Amino acid sequence: MEFLTNPLSLLILLSAASGLALLAVPPEKDGALKGLALAATLLIFFVSLKLYSGFDPAQTAMQFQLDKAWLPSFGINYLLGIDGISLLMIMLTTLLMPIAVLASFNYIKESRRGYYACLMFLEASMIGVFAALDLFAFYLFWEGMLIPMYFLIGIWGGPRRIYAALKFFIYTMAGSVLMLVAILWVVSAHHAATGAWTFSLPALYGGALTEQAQFWLFAAFALAFAVKVPLFPFHTWLPDAHVEAPTAGSVLLAGVLLKMGIYGYMRLAVPLFPVAALEFAPWLAGLGVFGIIYGSLVAWTQKDMKKMVAYSSVAHLGTVMLGIMAFEQSAVSGAVLQMVNHGLSTGALFLLVGVLYERRHTRMIEDYGGLAKVMPAFSAVFLVVTLSSIGMPGLNGFIGEVLVLFGSFRVYPWLAGAAVSGVILSAVYMLGMYQQVIFGPLRHTENKVLPDLSVREWLYLAPLLIFIVLIGVWPNPFLRRAMPAVNSYISLSRQQTAPAPAVVKIALGGEKTQ
Amino acid sequence: MIADPLAYAASALSGPLLLVLTAFVCLLLPLFIRQLRGTQGLIALGAVLVAITFFRQAPPAELAFFSEALLLSPLSSYLWAFALGVLALVIALSIARPPAPEENLGEYYFLLFMAGIGLMVLVAAGDLFTAFIALELLSLPVYALAGIRRSKPGLEAAYKYFMLGAFGSGMTVMGIAILSSLYPALTFTALKVGPAQPLALAGFLLVISGFAFKTALVPFHMWVPDAYEGAPTPISAFMAAAVKAGGVIVLWRLFSLFSGGPIREIFWWLAVVTAVSANLMALAQKGLKRLLAYSSVAHAGYIAVAFFGGRQGFEAVLYYLPVYAMATIGAFSVALLLEKEEKGPQIEDLAGLAKTRPWVAGAMAAFMFSLAGVPPLAGFFAKFYAFAGAVNSGYTSLVIIAIIMSAVSIYYYLKVTVVMYMKPSANGHTAEAPGLIEAVIFLMAAGVILAGIFSRPLLEQAAEASRWF
Repeated sequence: MEFLTNPLSLLILLSAASGLALLAVPPEKDGALKGLALAATLLIFFVSLKLYSGFDPAQTAMQFQLDKAWLPSFGINYLLGIDGISLLMIMLTTLLMPIAVLASFNYIKESRRGYYACLMFLEASMIGVFAALDLFAFYLFWEGMLIPMYFLIGIWGGPRRIYAALKFFIYTMAGSVLMLVAILWVVSAHHAATGAWTFSLPALYGGALTEQAQFWLFAAFALAFAVKVPLFPFHTWLPDAHVEAPTAGSVLLAGVLLKMGIYGYMRLAVPLFPVAALEFAPWLAGLGVFGIIYGSLVAWTQKDMKKMVAYSSVAHLGTVMLGIMAFEQSAVSGAVLQMVNHGLSTGALFLLVGVLYERRHTRMIEDYGGLAKVMPAFSAVFLVVTLSSIGMPGLNGFIGEVLVLFGSFRVYPWLAGAAVSGVILSAVYMLGMYQQVIFGPLRHTENKVLPDLSVREWLYLAPLLIFIVLIGVWPNPFLRRAMPAVNSYISLSRQQTAPAPAVVKIALGGEKTQ
Repeated sequence: MIADPLAYAASALSGPLLLVLTAFVCLLLPLFIRQLRGTQGLIALGAVLVAITFFRQAPPAELAFFSEALLLSPLSSYLWAFALGVLALVIALSIARPPAPEENLGEYYFLLFMAGIGLMVLVAAGDLFTAFIALELLSLPVYALAGIRRSKPGLEAAYKYFMLGAFGSGMTVMGIAILSSLYPALTFTALKVGPAQPLALAGFLLVISGFAFKTALVPFHMWVPDAYEGAPTPISAFMAAAVKAGGVIVLWRLFSLFSGGPIREIFWWLAVVTAVSANLMALAQKGLKRLLAYSSVAHAGYIAVAFFGGRQGFEAVLYYLPVYAMATIGAFSVALLLEKEEKGPQIEDLAGLAKTRPWVAGAMAAFMFSLAGVPPLAGFFAKFYAFAGAVNSGYTSLVIIAIIMSAVSIYYYLKVTVVMYMKPSANGHTAEAPGLIEAVIFLMAAGVILAGIFSRPLLEQAAEASRWF
């Protein structure tokens, strides 16, 4: 059974199977539900450690490959495999999952069975997105992720949850339907050129497509990923979804789902259509930088902590976008590292806001103040996470940001210069929020009795803190694993294909071609 | 070739003959034997199950009978299996909630079987005239079935359906008359090689309009919302799953006569107009059955898009029909389960279903996501195959329009899940739950969930069948 011996496939199947197992537990058995969910996510994390230890950092090819015929008449295979970037993303996912489960123990009080099952199905599709090397499988996982996330926001979310869930679903789906047409077109063009049906990404890389075709195809893919990242004009679903989602939903949304957009550019859009990618790159980088400044300014004005963190994500992802669109080694590797960093520190920020919300049922900055006196441990953790998010030297955020800025400065000096302002702005709003929440007098009497972090909260915050410091002082093991993938991304983006004779076939009004 | 075509034909035709026999048994026997009154449903279900059990895979050859009026091939056996399956499900639903008063049950099953036989002949018809007769055999009983409750909405549904349907039949007859004056024979093979002249074009257009009525392509869809809403819910499911399938198959035969020219252009526009307007109209619906009616029109549009994929597209259509049928029969079963008044539940009546009936709500969510085409449900795979063929043949712009409209459709399908999962229940749902309806719901849900990821067996059957049209 290769489906079970291949660790990637095992991770996906294990997540989906534990989701089904959770559905079989009687809904009134709370303890069993929580225990099973936690045990499943921990087991999956330990299985994923096998990926990390078995991964060969020197190798450039995809590792842990599994290739099984799925729908042979269409050339669709269940093709899995990872390189360093996907490895880091999968590890991030499996690390955040038990944390998300632990953080939900007290917060989720209704229909827990469905909740934990949704989390497990979400994990299956997230790992699937990062592991799939077949375009069809990728699209399946990419869209399949929508259903559990939609329910997570819509059922267990805040007061405006229905609006947020619908907006999230429709934005993301509308963004990616054109990608489906583009996928079909690419495969059809490949069939016309070679006579073989295949959805396999490695086989489709470097296909002979005209510049005009690449332009439209890249645009279709880029739209789908831009909604997910989210890039500036397509970001409006994000604050709503983040604010209304339950804590675990926000953690996964920020920690993993947003990375799927960036990952999509790196794995699909750019390597498949390098010519168009070069044309689009300055614009996408520019949108990223605009997002940095815009996101930071909007975050600055927020009174709701969760909304502030949400907008700070727009800014952080803008930095990552600038990095990957520079096609320069240090910028891209910095961007990859920054994807992990953002997952850790923003995830931690959402968890900390959740900690406060569970105690006081408010996320307004003005309802707090002087928490350092009553919650010293919380304040210390919050400080580390805030500094990591700002990019303080010695913590993880610094390395990624510096690499991106240094690298992209060589390619887009003006954009990189503008992006630096984001570093300053992030310090302004994050520290401002920290100061108002933690320092100052205890203005509200309700806050005087707030308990400090519990053991359970320590348990889920500690792993994040460890990695925040670890990557800050010793990023090498992570960078080393990502390096071959970064280099192959850059070399694929430089691959300028010769224009093929075929032009874009667009049939209007029943016109028949071929 | 097979050893004995006649032996195969005899065994293949024994299925429809059994249905004819059972139809009369259902109609007449309870009149003479009082004890059998009210048991027609079980007799009918038993007969269909026997027909399914004795069903045999056709040999890989096309056998023409009755001077090419009836073509038996793997295609017809695939579609007959589909028709028998739909019939069995509709009968199961009718047993659970009898749609007619007891004294009319005999007629109900008689008419249902006649419609079923009409469908089976229609999909195997080798010439246009047989297709027309089969279409009438399919349609006339369904007109009566729509109004069998003799209530106001039912009669309105039957009346509208009949008036517009008769209009459509009239156009078909007119078209056939024109074509028969121009062509030596009306078989599809003869029509393919015939002369191309303006009069023939007019004939084809009339015939296509007639069948487009049954398939519910815009602008021939006006009867759909009222008929689906007013008819007994099992009959609505039958119309959506079976009547549409019959129309689709004949339209495909007509479509594939042409490799270009105005007919294709007209199909292009039919597909576009259907996909766009049906989805926009569905956005405003409040009744669940009306919503499903507009959704059925929209899916007819996607199927028309698949036509442009050539043989690959026809394979996709053959996969699409059962997948769509499963989702829509399942959704109509949920409507039947919650039905309190004749027009079926409003969407708002589903509020809180996730709390009171979590598994039914889960199944309904699966049907909605499948109809919307969200992976990993079967509806996504169906749309994927349908659009893949059209893109491959160069009709990218058509697919782009259809896929954008299918993104629009997500809104109204999601509305149902929002109501079920995110709105509190206003009033309790009916406590009694006929087990048979739930069985149908869960069977369809399992199909919708599994037929996508494991679509290979069904797809291979469809591929084999698509080689024989």
